[in-house]
Amino acid sequence: MEFMKLEIITPNGVIFDGEVKQVNLPGSEGEFGVLAGHATLVSLLDTGVIVYEKTDAKEVAVAINSGYVKVDEGKTTCIVDGAVALSGDDSDLAKALEEAKALLKSTESSNSAIAAAVAKVEQIGKSF
Amino acid sequence: MANLKEIKRKISSVKNTQKTTNAMKLVSSAKLKRTEELAKKSRVYAEKLTELLTEIAQKMQNANADGLDNVYFRDVQNPKKVDIVFITADKGLCGGFNSQTIKSVSRLLEEYKAKDVKVRLRAVGRKGIDFFKFNNIELSDEIIGLSAAPDFKTASEFISEVADAYVNGDTDKIIVVHNGYVNMITQELRVDQVLPVDSSRLELNSVSTSELEVEPDDDDTLLDALVKRYVEYTMYYSLIDSLAAEHSARMQAMDAATKNAKEMVKELNIAYNKARQEAITTELIEIISGMESMK
Repeated sequence: MEFMKLEIITPNGVIFDGEVKQVNLPGSEGEFGVLAGHATLVSLLDTGVIVYEKTDAKEVAVAINSGYVKVDEGKTTCIVDGAVALSGDDSDLAKALEEAKALLKSTESSNSAIAAAVAKVEQIGKSF
Repeated sequence: MANLKEIKRKISSVKNTQKTTNAMKLVSSAKLKRTEELAKKSRVYAEKLTELLTEIAQKMQNANADGLDNVYFRDVQNPKKVDIVFITADKGLCGGFNSQTIKSVSRLLEEYKAKDVKVRLRAVGRKGIDFFKFNNIELSDEIIGLSAAPDFKTASEFISEVADAYVNGDTDKIIVVHNGYVNMITQELRVDQVLPVDSSRLELNSVSTSELEVEPDDDDTLLDALVKRYVEYTMYYSLIDSLAAEHSARMQAMDAATKNAKEMVKELNIAYNKARQEAITTELIEIISGMESMK
């Protein structure tokens, strides 16, 4: 399987920069998935959860409040305002979950979008 | 001897000051390192954001024969109303750091006044606020605490308000003035035009965007959102830059103060030794002359 580069960048630093198999993004027009070789695209991102599959098939979720994504053939760049990463090998997952929920709730998006994102975060929290 | 005592007291007081300034210098250098790190991290974000903004602006320019037709890019030749946002420190003791910014803002104010332009001042940082209040110049915003601890959310809330005024037509131009960080020993005054976006700075015509697809399928929505973020980010970065400069300026000022205190202690020590020697000599003369008279 082909890999592509993924970058997740916030004003406070780079959250992730590396190779991934695929990434799911919460676009403003609906969620969409990106694989390597995707057509060039720029999209707004809504409050939600970015889920990417690393090269070792492990999934990692990143809760975000809002931002943009630019997709190139071999590279996906997410520019977001705030992000909290949730990953299975994290020792203080509970704390990260709380942070993620707080981040999602602090946004100005519609209540339903926030509720959906929070529910997703909770679900991810259980799955680890 | 009263004189001796006095010099001794002075020496210990100067030594205390020296301790304080030295401690402040150390604190500033530690804080500077942290702020520098923060600036470095967020610079990546800035690069990517500018890149994206350039591409979208480019795409719109290509699509539209008249060039960029967007409220954020309108070219105002003769602005009637200008908002100046300036950043100073909340605290002093950092050499000419604050006064340089204040001077520059005052100069801008004069210039615009001469051209009959209405200027609103929005101040961030206690030192700037104090100065303009003392001189009875009206400030439309006074923000304390933000320049000492830049926070993306607070910064973006503040600048959004200013940007809204621009979109509503309450102001034609927004300028941010701050003293920026160059390196450990140099600060540089920066005057940045935030809105309208200076399209010459975006290096248009340098990227090809023919294949770019946009979602939502409305360039304006995306561009508006991007420009807003760009403005917010510029404000945030200015705050960090200013904070780094503040710490480096304070470090320098405190270093100079420590050195001066050292010099002073040296001089006072010499004066003290001289006075002591004098006292001893006088005493000796007294004893000798007493003995002579007894013969």
